[in-house]
Amino acid sequence: MPSRRRTLLKVIILGDSGVGKTSLMNQYVNKKFSNQYKATIGADFLTKEVQFEDRLFTLQIWDTAGQERFQSLGVAFYRGADCCVLVYDVNSMKSFDNLNNWREEFLIQASPSDPDNFPFVVLGNKIDVDGGNSRVVSEKKARAWCASKGNIPYFETSAKEGINVEEAFQCIAKNALKSGEEEEIYLPDTIDVGNSSQPRSSGCEC
Amino acid sequence: MSTSSSSPSSDEELIFNPNPIPKPIDDELTLASLTLTESNGNGSVGESDRYGGAGVVLEAEREGEREGPSSPSSSGYAGERGSSSEGTSNSRIGDEDDDGIQEVINDHDGFVDGVGDSSPSASWVPGKRHVDEDDASISWRKRKKHFFILSHSGKPIYSRYGDEHKLAGFSATLQAIISFVENGKDRIKLVRAGKHQVVFLIKGPIYLVCISCTEEPYESLRGQLELLYGQMILILTKSINRCFEKNPKFDMTPLLGGTDVVFSSLIHSFNWNPATFLHAYTCLPLAYATRQAAGAVLQDVADSGVLFALLMCKCKVVSLVGAQKASLHPDDMLLLSNFVMSSESFRTSESFSPICLPRYNPTAFLYAYVHYFDADTYLMLLTTSSDAFYHLKDCRVCFILIQRNNNLAFDVTNKGSSCVATVVRYHSCFQPLDPANTTVQLWIQWLVATVVLLRSNVLSEVQRSMLEGGMRVEDLPVDPLPRSSMPHRLSQQRILTQSPEIFSESIVGIGGPTGLWHFIYRSIYLDQYVSSDFSPPISSPQQQKRLYRAYQKLYCSMHDKGIGPHKTQFRRDENYVLLCWVTQDFELYAAFDPLADKAVAIKTCNRVCQWVKDVENEIFLQGASPFSW
Repeated sequence: MPSRRRTLLKVIILGDSGVGKTSLMNQYVNKKFSNQYKATIGADFLTKEVQFEDRLFTLQIWDTAGQERFQSLGVAFYRGADCCVLVYDVNSMKSFDNLNNWREEFLIQASPSDPDNFPFVVLGNKIDVDGGNSRVVSEKKARAWCASKGNIPYFETSAKEGINVEEAFQCIAKNALKSGEEEEIYLPDTIDVGNSSQPRSSGCEC
Repeated sequence: MSTSSSSPSSDEELIFNPNPIPKPIDDELTLASLTLTESNGNGSVGESDRYGGAGVVLEAEREGEREGPSSPSSSGYAGERGSSSEGTSNSRIGDEDDDGIQEVINDHDGFVDGVGDSSPSASWVPGKRHVDEDDASISWRKRKKHFFILSHSGKPIYSRYGDEHKLAGFSATLQAIISFVENGKDRIKLVRAGKHQVVFLIKGPIYLVCISCTEEPYESLRGQLELLYGQMILILTKSINRCFEKNPKFDMTPLLGGTDVVFSSLIHSFNWNPATFLHAYTCLPLAYATRQAAGAVLQDVADSGVLFALLMCKCKVVSLVGAQKASLHPDDMLLLSNFVMSSESFRTSESFSPICLPRYNPTAFLYAYVHYFDADTYLMLLTTSSDAFYHLKDCRVCFILIQRNNNLAFDVTNKGSSCVATVVRYHSCFQPLDPANTTVQLWIQWLVATVVLLRSNVLSEVQRSMLEGGMRVEDLPVDPLPRSSMPHRLSQQRILTQSPEIFSESIVGIGGPTGLWHFIYRSIYLDQYVSSDFSPPISSPQQQKRLYRAYQKLYCSMHDKGIGPHKTQFRRDENYVLLCWVTQDFELYAAFDPLADKAVAIKTCNRVCQWVKDVENEIFLQGASPFSW
């Protein structure tokens, strides 16, 4: 059997509805783009194998619905994520402003052990729209926000044109991986018959 | 709708023997006490079934699909026939083989996954199959029974078919469904989708899911998930929960590396091993004195500080001994023997392995010493001392050296001292060994046990019993002889077997007398069961699996908490007459020819009970006093 260890990374994509989360994922996994907008219901799941520094990974991508009515899915969805991708639309200031809420929400719900160093990646999507003329969030502004949140890596992408998508996900994989490196030795107890008079000591000391 | 008592539309169901304490021993009297009361007031409903043409069969099948799998009514059973009725199989997935797909694999040249009790893995190839599949594969979607283990973050841990990583999206979907329900402060147990059942079992951070269209009852599938979880605990203990508490994104697949085969072998055993639903173990038939001798050897070892000592032949117990107050649950024995038998490395050398007995103590490890005497017979010693565990590795080297020097100078009659002397002498050649050290003494006891067993006739008797098999329905005593004249029916049969020409004459191709095809007797006090050997017409693995599934349904309907527990059930469909009889002392499951007469079948069941009683010293492990609380 293959002894080579494979790693699975859980990646959550968050952001306002319509910023292009599903399109980014589709571009990345299936190399496809559709202009037609279809709201994600609840969540979509895709997997992609990635090679990185001679190792194979599987990205388990959780594409969530942006609409607020789905936010109740919270805790369970975010649990055990290896990386969180925050997406906004460079043509929508509101979607950018909301990044803060998404980030906060994620940290509350997922409650990672080290919230300050939890790997986020920010994507400013739809840079292709109108040749960039309708853009309202400048790259500078976005980068400043990322820097203020502990140097979150930032990418400007176009799911439609496939710009920077591959690079962004490479970075996502890399960061997700970093956070999962620390491993502990698995050492369960051994039954001590001599001292504990009752062997079925599964938490019932009566 | 889905209870056995309310859907007797096409089979007959009878309640008999209202006597709460039956007396199966005096057979004449017992029969008299079996007063028949037919619940639907019509004992002849079965007739229409019996002579029903193909049209009826098809109707029943369709009904089975519509009704859903948990219905123990005859339509459910009718569905069991699955691919045996031609013409309906195009869109159906093969029922005969839940590992396969009908379109791909047929009954004959395909992979046959169920084999008789006596050779459970003869034609079964261990390990995972169809690794290349994922949830996009049509073949994967058509598999009849899927098992998944995933973490509460949706990371896949195990999948029966397909590659776990390729199924990461599917795994995430399952987690999303579970979590969605959890968010509403509720818990998901079962989803029915057409003829598929999706059964969920949530064990803290571990989620287990079975997706099945095998029409097994929900309780059976849930029980199988429980065992699957137990198997995982046996390998890792419940300490994995701590890992998830500390780190929700914890990936436990590396810890389970190489154990695919253990899980797939367990899942396979759901098809052929009745212990998986009876929650009882079975013994290899042996002369009482032989089993006593084996028990005495094990007792000596147990006295030297071992928690449990078991001598097993495949999944059957030869003998077992437990330290004071320590009791071994039949489910633990099942999981332990599955673990040992499915892991090839135990066979190739004497081994020590940390294991956890989930029913004994799910939080901590024990250490198992496993020694195979031959391909099927192995000794397992479970100790709490990890110290011994590591020390024993050294001792083993010593043992090998002694063997190599062809100087196995153990005085087995005088077990203790001279052995110690010999071992110490050899061991001190390369490492000082203190004979007063308890670990050394422990090991020497183990060594002695091995040697004593090797020199005794126990192992040859085990081999013989394997070849001769157990109880055969053909051998059911025909006449209710006075008990004194047939003290050991099984032994008589043994003698018969030694002259094959006489024996072969006694084999008839139609099962036992009065159409008895098969039975399982479960002793409630002993936590043990005995199952008759399979003989025609229940000869193919598919037929055996189908019968076990029918028993399983019977078991579930008898133990149904809502409407049960029942005392008796008589059920006739086009495959069998099934009779189940539950008392305070035992449970009897019997299958007859579908044309069998009811009164005769009941009479036969009494004879089976009598027969079991007559040979109980050979088929059961008796008086294992320290074994239970």
